[in-house]
Amino acid sequence: MIKKTTKIHGNVHLTGSKPTLQAPVPPYIYLATANTRCPKIDIYVKPGDHVNMGQVIGMRQAAFFTQPVHSTVSGTYEGLEKHYHRSGKCVDFLKIKNDFKDTMDSSIVERTDEQVKALSHDEMTEIIKNCACVGLGGSSFPTYIKFQTKNKIKTILIDGIECEPYVSADKKIMIERTDLVLKGIEYLLWAFDCHDARICFKKKHSDLIHVFQNALGNPEYKDFNITVCTVKDFYPQGWEIAMIKSALGIDVPSGHLPSEFGVFNVNVSTVWGIYLALKFNMPVFERMVTINGEGVNAPANFNVRIGSPLKPLIDKCGGYKNPEIPKKIILGGPMMGASITTDDCILTKTVTSIIILDYHQIDATSCVRCGSCILSCPVGLQPVTIMKTMQSMPVDKAKIKALNPMKCIGCGLCSYSCTSNINVKEFVERAKIIQRLP
Amino acid sequence: MQIIQEKSPHIRRKDSVASMMGDVCIALIPVIIYSLVVYKLFALRNILLSVAVMELCEFIFVLIQNRIPYDGEKHSLKENLQKGVQAYHRENFLAPLVSALIFALIMPVETSPAGIYWVSMIAGGIFGMVIGKLVFGGLGQNIFNPAAVGMVFSKLCFSSYTVTTDPFGSTDAFASSGIGDSIIASSTSLSNISMADKVVNLSNYSLLELFLGQTPGLMGEACKLVLLLSLVYLIVRHTIDWRITLSYVGAFAILMLFSGIVISVTSTGHAKAIVNPFYFMTYQLLSGGLLFGAIFMATDPVTSPITKPGRVLYGVILAICTALIRLFGSYPEGVVFSILIGNLLTPMIDYYKWSGNKWNWKKIVLTASVFIVGLLIIIWALSVQWGCSK
Repeated sequence: MIKKTTKIHGNVHLTGSKPTLQAPVPPYIYLATANTRCPKIDIYVKPGDHVNMGQVIGMRQAAFFTQPVHSTVSGTYEGLEKHYHRSGKCVDFLKIKNDFKDTMDSSIVERTDEQVKALSHDEMTEIIKNCACVGLGGSSFPTYIKFQTKNKIKTILIDGIECEPYVSADKKIMIERTDLVLKGIEYLLWAFDCHDARICFKKKHSDLIHVFQNALGNPEYKDFNITVCTVKDFYPQGWEIAMIKSALGIDVPSGHLPSEFGVFNVNVSTVWGIYLALKFNMPVFERMVTINGEGVNAPANFNVRIGSPLKPLIDKCGGYKNPEIPKKIILGGPMMGASITTDDCILTKTVTSIIILDYHQIDATSCVRCGSCILSCPVGLQPVTIMKTMQSMPVDKAKIKALNPMKCIGCGLCSYSCTSNINVKEFVERAKIIQRLP
Repeated sequence: MQIIQEKSPHIRRKDSVASMMGDVCIALIPVIIYSLVVYKLFALRNILLSVAVMELCEFIFVLIQNRIPYDGEKHSLKENLQKGVQAYHRENFLAPLVSALIFALIMPVETSPAGIYWVSMIAGGIFGMVIGKLVFGGLGQNIFNPAAVGMVFSKLCFSSYTVTTDPFGSTDAFASSGIGDSIIASSTSLSNISMADKVVNLSNYSLLELFLGQTPGLMGEACKLVLLLSLVYLIVRHTIDWRITLSYVGAFAILMLFSGIVISVTSTGHAKAIVNPFYFMTYQLLSGGLLFGAIFMATDPVTSPITKPGRVLYGVILAICTALIRLFGSYPEGVVFSILIGNLLTPMIDYYKWSGNKWNWKKIVLTASVFIVGLLIIIWALSVQWGCSK
């Protein structure tokens, strides 16, 4: 089909209407020493030390920032153990034996709303930094860096779009913790001294729009200009630039930050994280994870303690359906998520969902130049031309540079819409590496 | 349980090359039914012959391409054949089927003497498939539309044997199925228009007759009603890009409108042609293979550009070439030739330094200037032709 792909057909319905389940807190939790952004760590505890819930047990080092690691249970630190990270790499994890007492660390103190309001912008940034608040929508970009912007923020956009199919974690957060999310937005408005916040929903999520419109009718929120903003239902609407374009009509050119245009955009789960940080001085201990797909018996949303291993969760979902069929385990959404080689994997802060699909061999045929990938590409690249260039030997570097694959946001629409079932995105990813070469 | 790692995205749109080809075949069914009804056994013979020739070429190609590579051991012919047959997929059947059906529909129905017909069909089919497609590496690699290459080859080699059949002129003789009797030489709708001889005879066929295909001509291109049906199906199924069809037909219509105006304004003396420009335009649109070419041949994704502006520009170029060949060329029909010229320009349109999927002012100016240059050439040539006293 020569057609622009706008919608991804997936079944959110499997989990969207079910109540959220509380996943059991595991006897051991594991915290990654490295993640995609921070390759190194300084560990502050020795094996055998007692740690409290919320205690800083290490500091991850990245190129231009540091990120504290908080224990998400109370118990004993038992040393390092190798496990798989969501990025698909096998890295060292800090192993903590749970004593099931959940003793809170002394740093966790509740602030009243007045106290929060009295905090200056810099103080808030510091709190958010110390609580290791990161983009919980999956990007894991440190929120405090976004907070540090010197530009005047005119609008705060809350991403409640739930872009990927199968995933409904954000939706559940919004429905079940509406008040907390709205409180978080309130804090954000104070932080930026801003009077315009918009929560973006896809048109098709009418239930969410209804819930929020009801909640905003509450006199408590009358003073804040929080509005519900419906955007068109297409993929990748969750991409920040597409969201800003459809919500505000501002076209952010690639290479520029939304804050330069007076926009601060943030995911709802992150808003919830910011709320916890500012209100309780508390890092995120639990997050909402969707377990979905045709490969599990009982798909559901779970409240998962960060650092839990994946296997018990799948057992909680009734185990794998049809175990004789090979499976794909995807951390993140099916369009952009990474697939892992084993279910011995640890859930980190940024795992929004676990999608388990039956594996089917996809046979690629030769490209017929239908141009669906070009029509679908949200950043106006020519994936097929990049692919043809990468296939020719030797690769023409000047041509790759001219085609500029660095603009790619990795949405996967080129591969999704390929008539010949070629994984075009893979070639674009390789072209990115070529372009980075000097 | 086995866990398999794969690169994202993990879900795919449900379509394939085979389903796209299948859609084209389905869209061709009304055209084939029309030609079977009108030309009966002749049409059946043409279609079967062309399908057989092209499928055989592709099958042999698949066998050659997938033979066992040299590994120091001798392999029996049977092993080689088995490996080749395993590599023969649905696309290998459907792609030549589409080419063969189009080829059969754009070939002349009959030749005189009748024996030449077999030669021209088989030679054209082999040439179109092998030289037009397989030497480049098969599906997706070809520069030219295989059906067009085969048709042009036959046309150039055997054109003196071609006769135009008129199944509507004397139905009785045609129905009597004796091949010799059925050949009634008559002129097609386009051969009544000749710029060089200053003949614009639009009165032989009414527009309705042209629309319903009650004119002599090639099998596929006659009935515009069934072609429009196919067009609707193809666009609904997103099998073709409407931009090519629309810009081709649209640009051609505008060019012909202006030509009609120029002819009626500049013609003088005894050659004074009284032409209603709109009638002239509609007549040109409904005659010949324009619609068939614009729907089935120009939109072949392999040989057309891949970007949106490129596709529009491609349609405009095709329209200019068709208009030039129709008005001034020695062949009354120019669709197939212009499609080959357009195929030739496709790599240039797609060149990475200026191609892009977004319309910007450069691309608009380029497309518009190509169109205006073409229009000016046509107007100039027409005014010189009709203005001279001869």
